[in-house]
Amino acid sequence: MRFLLRLFPLILIFAGAMLLFERPAYAYADPGTGLLAIQAVGSALIAGGWYLRRKIYTLFHRDSAAPAEPQRLPVPKDSEG
Amino acid sequence: MTLPLIQPAAASADPHAAPPDQDPPPFSELHAQQMTFRDPAGQLLLAPDHALRRVRAIAAEEAHTFLDSALRIDLEHSGDLVASRIIEPDAGSFSSPGDFWLHHPRIEPISYPWEWTAAQWGAAAELTLRLARKAIDAGWTLKDATPLNVLFQGARPIFVDVLSFERRDPHSTVWLAYGQFVRTFLLPLVAAKHLGWSLAATLLARDGYEPGTLYRALPRWRRLDPGLLDVITLAALFEGKSGKPRKAKPAKTNPELAAHILHKRLARLGRQIRRAAGGTTSSDWSRYAQTASHYLPPDVEQKQQFVRDALEQCQPARVLDIGANTGTYSLMAASAGAQVVSLDNDAAAVEQLWRAAAASEKPVTALVANIARPTPAAGWRNREQLSLLDRLTGKFDMVLMLAVIHHLILREQLPLAHIGDLCASLTRRWLVLEWVPPSDPMYQEWLRGRDHLYGHLSEDDLTQAFTPHFSVSSRKTLGNGRVLLLLERRLAAADAVC
Repeated sequence: MRFLLRLFPLILIFAGAMLLFERPAYAYADPGTGLLAIQAVGSALIAGGWYLRRKIYTLFHRDSAAPAEPQRLPVPKDSEG
Repeated sequence: MTLPLIQPAAASADPHAAPPDQDPPPFSELHAQQMTFRDPAGQLLLAPDHALRRVRAIAAEEAHTFLDSALRIDLEHSGDLVASRIIEPDAGSFSSPGDFWLHHPRIEPISYPWEWTAAQWGAAAELTLRLARKAIDAGWTLKDATPLNVLFQGARPIFVDVLSFERRDPHSTVWLAYGQFVRTFLLPLVAAKHLGWSLAATLLARDGYEPGTLYRALPRWRRLDPGLLDVITLAALFEGKSGKPRKAKPAKTNPELAAHILHKRLARLGRQIRRAAGGTTSSDWSRYAQTASHYLPPDVEQKQQFVRDALEQCQPARVLDIGANTGTYSLMAASAGAQVVSLDNDAAAVEQLWRAAAASEKPVTALVANIARPTPAAGWRNREQLSLLDRLTGKFDMVLMLAVIHHLILREQLPLAHIGDLCASLTRRWLVLEWVPPSDPMYQEWLRGRDHLYGHLSEDDLTQAFTPHFSVSSRKTLGNGRVLLLLERRLAAADAVC
């Protein structure tokens, strides 16, 4: 639980970074404003899970060593998933 | 296996279409009836037996790449995407340098989302998400995502806008059509499920509902529903806080991660759609076949046999079933080899019919519509979407109007002659009609003291009112007093042999 709490600021940093690097959206369909922002936040949350998936895996599998290839690790359930 | 881009006309011709020996209408006439024009990449023109899509020069290179792609071939083979082939029509001044033209088969009938049930919305949404997923894997994306890009071929949804595909920035985690998908697919379903807003009302909401609109309408506790929190509550709050549009496109992302994010987003949308569109509905009319007390089993058997014989005798290729209810006779016509369009005003009954047709893969297109108050034309200058009657008139070899006429007389107050005129405009030849006499319990229930107006009507009044258009080919009186009539159009009878 303490580990998850430590993750939270990191996720917020990701969310902030996503919103910081905004560029114009060239869309024929109206991408919306709030719904576009939701995508940015959602992307940040999923990206947080993606980058930290190894640590999250070890959190729930303390007894077994993590596999050598991080790409093969299961991706944790995230806010969009 | 590859699909040739240039196909012979016969290979792609819609079996429901008008005979191919018709002269094509002048191009100026087609152009005047162009159906789509919002997408700067192209426009769609409808001919009687095919559709033409103009691809403008600005989108030509990308469209050619998509048409040559394995993705396009895969989607066409799976039946999820309308067939396309490049043609060179004599478009004259209606074409510009660099433009090219695509030929598509007509998908009949054209139906609009405001005539679909929640389950059909769900199926159209699932199709769109399926295409979006395949597109991501193939390096493409959907640039728009609206139910107006989907038609129903029988009971099966088919995506008809080939210009929706554009190449994807592999580093982008944003699906630019996400907002449109939420507004036009998800939020109308949510509004129907939780607020009781009719899906038919989307006729007046071309771009769907804004999150803020639903946020204000939903009860407070519903705004915290985990399935709606992002697409309604947070989206509305983000919109409300920002004084100017939030122009967002995230920074360059690892392509593998970008695809992962996009797939996660689509998976969540799929769950949200299934939740909003799911659940079975029922109504008095959807249970009518089980609860109707004015039919004894022998009456039902005689009625079914009469319709079966009429189908066998007339062999209609296209049938319109008005007041189809849960589709007993629509499915019977489809089993006899007809392409069927079924109309009913009761969404729960239509939903049952659509599920049955989809499960049995019968060519039945089920629509929520009232023939007495047909769907009007809509959109820009009332020309973007055709009225129901514009789409149905003269398209059918047989019309079924079983146990409907007393609704039209007593509930809609329509004179018999007007009903005859309508039937004659819809069918090219045959009409199967069930006359419900004033002594019938259902007739009595709706008579409501208006005996002097409607209590005297008889089968003779019906046949007399229909005489200008129809002659009686055969009739059968059921044990409950109702009468089944097979009527034939007078002009058609002179032209052809059954």
